Parts: sequence; C-alpha cells; structure tokens
Amino acid sequence: MNMRKLTAGLVLGSAVAGMVAGSAYAESSDKISISVIAAQYGQQTANWWKGFEKDFEKDNPNIDLNVDVVSWNDIYTAVNTRIANNQAPDILNIDVFADYQADGLLLPAKDYVSEETYSKMYESFLDQSVVDGTVWAIPDLASARAMYYNADILKEVGVEAPKTWDDLKNVCKAIKDHYNGEVYPWGIDLTTDEGQAAFAYYTWNNGGGFVDDDNNWALNSDKNVEAVEFEIGLIKDGYTNTDPANETRYDLQDMFGAGKIAMMIGPNSIPAYLKEGGYSINYEVAPIPTNTDTSVSAGVMDRFMCFDNGYSDEKLKAISTFFDYFYDDQRYSDWVQMEGFLPATKTGGEIIAKADESMAAWVDIVGSSKFYPTAKAEWADVKQGVIDVEQNALLGEDVKGLLDSLQSEIAG
Amino acid sequence: MKKKYRLIEPYIWILPSCVLMALFIALPIGMVFRMAFSQVTRAGIVKGFTGFDNFIAATGKPAFKIVLWNTVVWTVVVVVVSTVVGFILALLLNNEFRGRKIARAIVVFPWATTLVIQASVWNFIINTDYGTLNTLLKKLGIISTNINWTPTPGAYFAWECFVGIFVTIPFVTFCVLSGLQGIDESFYEAATADGANYWQKLFHITIPLVRPQLTVSTVLNIIYVFNSFPIIWTMSKGDPANRTDTLVTYLYKLAFYNGKQGQAAAISVIGFLILLVCASVYMVFTLRGQKER
Repeated sequence: MNMRKLTAGLVLGSAVAGMVAGSAYAESSDKISISVIAAQYGQQTANWWKGFEKDFEKDNPNIDLNVDVVSWNDIYTAVNTRIANNQAPDILNIDVFADYQADGLLLPAKDYVSEETYSKMYESFLDQSVVDGTVWAIPDLASARAMYYNADILKEVGVEAPKTWDDLKNVCKAIKDHYNGEVYPWGIDLTTDEGQAAFAYYTWNNGGGFVDDDNNWALNSDKNVEAVEFEIGLIKDGYTNTDPANETRYDLQDMFGAGKIAMMIGPNSIPAYLKEGGYSINYEVAPIPTNTDTSVSAGVMDRFMCFDNGYSDEKLKAISTFFDYFYDDQRYSDWVQMEGFLPATKTGGEIIAKADESMAAWVDIVGSSKFYPTAKAEWADVKQGVIDVEQNALLGEDVKGLLDSLQSEIAG
Repeated sequence: MKKKYRLIEPYIWILPSCVLMALFIALPIGMVFRMAFSQVTRAGIVKGFTGFDNFIAATGKPAFKIVLWNTVVWTVVVVVVSTVVGFILALLLNNEFRGRKIARAIVVFPWATTLVIQASVWNFIINTDYGTLNTLLKKLGIISTNINWTPTPGAYFAWECFVGIFVTIPFVTFCVLSGLQGIDESFYEAATADGANYWQKLFHITIPLVRPQLTVSTVLNIIYVFNSFPIIWTMSKGDPANRTDTLVTYLYKLAFYNGKQGQAAAISVIGFLILLVCASVYMVFTLRGQKER
C-alpha cells in the first residue's frame, strides 16, 4: 500500500470510528448517567462491580451506571486529578472524606440516601462521618482488629493467651526463652502504611488515644506516653520481629502463617489471608491485651460519598436509587462477605451472623470498636505524625518530647 | 513566494518536536512552579498565590535537613562509585578474550531489569528471616543463626546505595565502551614506541579520549540518580522516620500521604534548581577543559 492510500485509509477509519462513538454517545445521552469510583478491596472487587453494573442497568433501564474500580495505591491521585480538572465523580467509595468536605465538594448524606436505607446503618458508624452536625458520608463496610495467636506454640511453652500488658510481657519472655530466638513472640508493624494502627492498639488499651472526651487532640497525654514507651519496650526487649519500621502487616501475617511469629494483632480478614496463602497453622483469636479493665478493638470503616456536581432532581433520584439497590440486604451481605469484611448495617449484620457463626463474634466486636478520628481535618497530619513519633522513639528519642512537639504542631 | 517558504521551512520541520516539548516538558514544569507558589488544598484544588509559604514550611521541618543530606550522599556515592567501577569494567571488556560477548551480555542484565524488581530481589536477599543470603551462609556453615543485615537506618541506606550502584554500572560501562572502541590503535602504538607505561597511556590517552562519553554518562547519572524513586521506595519507603528518604521519596510522601501538594511542589522546585546548577557547572567545566585541549 502506498503512503497516500494508507493515509486515506486512516482518515476514513477514524471518521467511521468517530461516527460510531458519536452514535453511542447520542444513545446514552437520554439516559441519566452516574459515574462511580470504587476502591479495589481485593481480587474479586472489579468482577463484583461488573456484575452489579449489569444487574442495576437491567433493573433501571433509564440509568447508565459507570463504575471505575481503582487500586488503593492510585485512588487518591486518581480522585484528586479528577477534582482538579472539574471532573469529580458522582459517587466515591474510599476511606477518608474530611478533606473533600472541607473544600465544600460533598453533599449531605440525607440529600441522596433514602430514609429506609439510612435507617439500616449503625448509628455509631454514621457518627464517624459527622462534621458540624451533618452526616457527609455513609459506611460501606468495616473491619475490626483482634489478637491472633498460634495455639500450638503457646501450648508447647505452657502459657495462656495474654489478657493484660503484664501477661503479655510474661508470655513474650517465656516464648523467647523457650525458642531461643527462633520464634518471635510478638508482631509489631510501625511502617508508614500502618503505624497509626499500632499507636491506636496501645494507647486505647491504656485509657489514652488520639482525642480527649471533648474530641480535642490529646496526643501527648501521660497515658499515651506510657503506652508508646511500653510498645517500644517490647521491641527493645527483643520480643518482636527485628525490623518493625519496615515490616508491614502482610510480612507479619506471612511470618505468623509460617509459625515464625507467635502472636500478633490483625484484622478479621486474616483467616482468609492464611487460607489463600496455603498456611495451615493452629491459631485462635482473642481480645487485644489491655492495661485497663476492658479491651478496646480498633475498627476501620470505609465510606460512600456523593460529590456536589449540581444535580437535577432526576439525577439525585437516580443516585438515591443506586444506594437503595446497593444496600438491598442480600446484595449488601454478598458485598461484605466477598472479601471477608464486616457489615455496616444492622440488617446486614443479622444476615451475616446467621450465615456464619465465626463471624457473629466479629459483628459484636465491630459494634463496640473505637475508630480513628477521620472526621477531624488534621487527621492526615496526625496519622503521619504518630508514625513518625513511633519510628523516632524506636531510634532512641524521648517519647514525651516527641509527643509534646507533635501535639503543639497539630493543636497549636 | 518560494523564497519565503524556504525561509520558514526549517521551522515547520521542528514545529512538531517543539509542540511536544512544550506540551510534555515545559507545561508540567510550569504547573509545578505554579503549585509551589500556591495554596493547594488536600483535595488538590489550587487556591491562589501564597508567595514562599510552601518553601518556608517545607524546608523548616527537621526532616528536611536529614533528607537533603541523604540526597547528597546518595547521589555522590552512587554516581562516583558506579563511574569508577563502570570505567574499570569497560577497560576489561575492551580486551580481546574468549567469551567477551557473553560477559558483555551479563553486564547488561541489571540494566535490563526493572528497578522495582531489582530492589525487591535485593530486599529478599538481605531479609533477616527468610533471606537467601542468610540461608546460603547457613548452608555453607559460615553462620549458625540469622544475621540482621539492616540493624540500623544507616545500614539500610548503605544497602540502597549498593543496589543503586549495581544498577547504574552497566550504563557507565556501555558509554565508556563505545568511546574506547573509537580510539585509534595507533595512539597506543606510538606511545609504546616512546616508552610509555600502562598508567601513562591510561591517563594521557584513554581518559582524555573517552572524556566526552564520561561527561555524558556522569551528567545523565547525576540527574537519574538524584531523581531515582523506585529503589528507595521499594526497599524502605524512607523509613524509619525519614532516615532513608531522599528528596524524591520525601516529596512523594508529602504529596500523597500527607496531602501537602503545595509543599511537595516546592521541594520539587528546589530539587530542579539543585540539579540545574550541578549539571550546568559540571558541563561548563568539562566542556571548557575539552576546548583548551
């Protein structure tokens, strides 16, 4: 083919492609289209959404639903780029919301969630998305943390699962002595990815935490100083994995599965993780060891939010239809169970507790969990700040001094 | 008419590349500068001019000094060591010997592998609990218990520099090798006839004649290594507490973990200016040296 023919062919080809694209556009333009960006929770998320999209469009022929499933690594960049280009999605499924709310980009949840769907959610979950008395996002799922321990190792050493901090130290010492360093008694993750979770486990279980009773930042409380010193002490005493600042939760989970770590704190998805990884250890689940009367579990919750893109009443109704469809009890419990998470609705909780006995305990745990104060605008700084404190403390700096300077940086 | 066309013709030919450069180089640089001098919300919305606020906030943090120093150490160590070793390797590979082609191919391997894979593999090799280095030493009976190869942040950083050097050597070797092959044998013959020894030939013939290639590889390496992200990010993410961060990993964390895109852009501008100065100074000195010769 000579050059001229090739060029003509290309021009013709692109013109035809343009016509096809144009007609597709014309067809969809009399439908209401909804764009969704959803976080990729695991291997099955994308497929689940594909099926959802198909079913939803079949049941709602006047709505054109487009779901983009984006990995956690890219989702913040992807969303920010779209916002910066004035192409915010209609609906977003992600963990944080306060930054978008602070920029005035979101609609109040009541504007787009029907009464019926709204009433299904746990009150304590909705409370996590309140700023200035308004709920700005709704929970899509949750997970909770507890202590996992290798029952065979504890039996071999002849100790019970620790309930208090004193127990924990004694059990760690017994395991360390028995195995002579071949097994790490306790797993700790202080990495940039999850160090804030470690901070929560120890401070919450010492009566401290990120905020005080009035929801003001209280990072340098005496309880927190004591908790971080206890945490770092476990590492310094040689009771933990060797490199907590670089070993992520997944590294710990692998070592736990391989019988290299005896005890660790982790999410309710660990059984699924161990099964998928082909590990076959004999493990049990117990409450996180505490220095107070009751053990506090850490809950993590993700959300749906709706961007304020100047909707017509018709479109707002379509968005409301989307949420009714998503939170339909059976469909919703499928969604939650797909990747081994916990439900954020009462009705979903009932179905899952009935279907799987081992999940019932978790449904109780998540109902009584404490959550990160993600509704506060400074949360991103606090999160990185406490990780920095832990890592600097690990390098030998004074915990009190570190927490004092973080508190003054955050609260002024 | 034809004369006029002749006049503008060259510009038409270079227009596409100018447009591409403007679109993909000048525009993004301009946007980074704009962000560096603007208030940027966490959601990424640019909200008006703030002067040097971002620069003051970003450079005022205690971490910034650590990170800047790390960047200097990282760049100097990796570029200098890999240039010296790469040069020596090129001299060896320029000799005639059996299996030379295979040896050259082996040198390319680290270069042909993605940096993320390289860094992950090295991380796996030096891991305390399931690393292959400990396993190997145990099997050979050299050690009895696992050694922690990264007990301090300094040790981690040294390993990262090592990996940086390992992956940079091939580029230097091939640049120098291309220069070596262009040197006429008669220079060496004449020098030998005059009674020059190996070192005299090396310093007075070889090095001056491969200087253009060395300049290119060094300038490019300064830029690549200074801006290198994957090795450090894959191996340590700059942890613990910024002790292994360089400017690039630090600004990534600022932008995408802390939501401070304005400050991240400011650090990006600082890095850009440092590189501009370093690379220009180096180029001016070496090119001037060449002209005098």
